[in-house]
This record gives sequence, C-alpha cells and structure tokens, in this order.
Amino acid sequence: MESRLKALMIAALDGDRAAYGELLGVLSGYLRGHFRRRLGPGAADVEDLVQETVLAVHLKRGVYDRGQPFTPWVYAIARYKLLDHFRRVGARRAVPLDDAGELFSLENTEEGAVRRDVDKLLARLPPRQRQLMADVKLTGLSMEEAAARSGMSVSAVKVAVHRGMKRLEKEVGDEDR
Amino acid sequence: MKTADLIDALAAGSTPTPPIPVARRIAAAALLGAALALVLLVAWLGLRPLGEAARTGSFWMKAGYTLILSLAGAMGVGRLARPGAGLGRAPLIVAAAIAGMAILGAIEIAAAPSADRGDLWLGHTWQSCSLHILALAAPVYLGVAWALRRLAPTRLTLAGAAAGLLAGAVGATVYGLYCDETAAAFVFAWYTLGIGACAAIGGFLGRRLLRW
Repeated sequence: MESRLKALMIAALDGDRAAYGELLGVLSGYLRGHFRRRLGPGAADVEDLVQETVLAVHLKRGVYDRGQPFTPWVYAIARYKLLDHFRRVGARRAVPLDDAGELFSLENTEEGAVRRDVDKLLARLPPRQRQLMADVKLTGLSMEEAAARSGMSVSAVKVAVHRGMKRLEKEVGDEDR
Repeated sequence: MKTADLIDALAAGSTPTPPIPVARRIAAAALLGAALALVLLVAWLGLRPLGEAARTGSFWMKAGYTLILSLAGAMGVGRLARPGAGLGRAPLIVAAAIAGMAILGAIEIAAAPSADRGDLWLGHTWQSCSLHILALAAPVYLGVAWALRRLAPTRLTLAGAAAGLLAGAVGATVYGLYCDETAAAFVFAWYTLGIGACAAIGGFLGRRLLRW
C-alpha cells in the first residue's frame, strides 16, 4: 500500500492528473471507512471530514518530502482533522499518534465492509456448511476440490452448498422484510 | 458537494508542485525575528563592548550554548512542520546541551571558595535575565509561528514548544550581546530558565496560534 500510494503521490506532484485523481479516490475510500469507525456508523460528519482531509492533502502537498513515507503523512493529516473536529464539537478524545496501518487496512474499504457483512451472515450456518460455502462461494474452489478438502462426496457438497444458499437467501429476505 | 466531484476538480486543476523549502522558510523567519530582537536590544538595553567580550571564553561559552539550542529548536520545528515526521534528534541535542552546561556549572561551583558560590550562580542580573530573554524571544516566536502556519504542523502543542525553544534560544543569543555575566552556573540557571519558559509558553500558544 505504502509503495503504491507513494508512487501515485510522486507522479501527482510531477503533474500527472490521472495519478492524482486515482490517489485522492483511493485515499477518500480509506478515509471514509476510517472516520466511520472512529465516529460510529451513520455519523453525519464523516463525509465532511473526508472532504476536509482530501482538501488538506491537496493544499499541503508541497510540504510532503519525497524522502518521507507517505502513509504516515496522510494519517497525521487525518488525525489532525479528526482532533480538530472533536475540538469543534467539544469532545475531548485521544486519537493514536501513529496508526497509519489502521487507516490503510482492508477493513476501511467498501470491499471490507461487504466482507464483514458476509462473514456475519455465514456465522449463522453450522461450521461444516459454513466452511463449504466459504470454499465454494468465496474462495472459488470447484465442487470437486471442496469435496476433496472436506472428505465428503461431490454430490453431498452440492446439496450442502445448495441448501446453504437457500437458507442465507431466506435469512436475508427475512431481514429485509 | 460530492466527494467524487471535489476530487475530479482537484485532479483536473493540478499542476506540477515543487516541494516547499521548509528549512529555508524557518531559517528566514528565525533570522528576521533575530534582527528584530537585535533592534529591540540595542534600543532598550544597549550592547556590551563586543571587541572586549569576544576575547573572553565566557562570551563564546554562552553563545555556543544558545546557538546549539537554537539549532535543536530549528530541527524540531523543521520536523514538526511536516505531518507524520516525528521529532528526530532535537530532544537528544537539547538534553545533551543542558547536561553539558550543568556539568560546567557544577565544576565551577565545586572549584570556588564556598563564600563565592552564591555570587557565581546569581551573578548581578539574575532577577532580570530570564525576563529579558522572554521579551527578546517574542518577535522570533511570532515570525516562526507565522511561517509554521503556512506549513502543515499536525501536533500543535509540540510544534509550538519547538518554536518557543527556537525563539528562546535565539533571543538568548541576542541577549548575550548585552549580558556580561561570566559564570557557567549563571548561564545554566537563568538562560535555561528563560529558554525553557519560552518553550512552555510557546507550546501553550501553539494550540491556538498554529491551527490551519
């Protein structure tokens, strides 16, 4: 992540507009997840903070030293904007000083959010069936491979996966209703 | 405005961006502040006879001490002006300089007859020394704070304290052109107190002054 983002940043500083757009897009995704986690889901200020941070990255990009790691640079700005936000709303909260790893974790992407939902859903299935579903539907193993891994017959795997899908569909349907 | 639109607008309008010369800006602000402090000193307290002073070791001992602390302050400000850069070696240099001065002062005190020891560390200007340093540091601090606001400090108290250290040490260097105290024990006590007070006040003010 560090090397990819740093390369984009340096290209952007050299005037590559496409790289800059991509960089800010990627950053805003991570920032959104990050602020959402810090402020709680559904907080109204998340998008404001994302925009403020993106704008600060833009306005202060001349202060970035190419010899310095990029992800801690972004994290420090995000942390500053978050503390500034807390000060404005009158909350006193500590924010870790050095947590670029958290900011750029998969958890903070849209993909990560979907993944969390899927994991929650799968947790409702019995362990054996959950494993088969994960192997076939998430990892992408074939029925034969999943059968070999679990020691079940191919037809038993097919039935289990089919029933698992039915059950999840029903659960999701119940939730939506 | 949608975030995606903001990003598109920023990216579409972007041009090659040269790095900001952070060190040069801080040095320029500190030198401008030092010039103002010098004007203030000459108008207010006057200079000591400098030709004579330059032939004494104590003059250079004082100047060396305050210049090393100025350097450490400038290094700290330079690092804290950039997000995510940490403190670097500045605290180590400060600690080494103060410890060195303490040792010099202790040796001096230990070697003196006990009746003279009070005079050594109190000198004849101990009541005004720290306050003079504080006053001379003010223009330097304002200059450095102004420069810092246009950079990107993200730890404001710490950046303010580093700016205060830089300002106090530069102010003390200027003050050395007036002050005719010669004892290391005096410098250790009152110069360090004055510079330390600048760092403390600078940290306190930094939280408000340095926001961007």
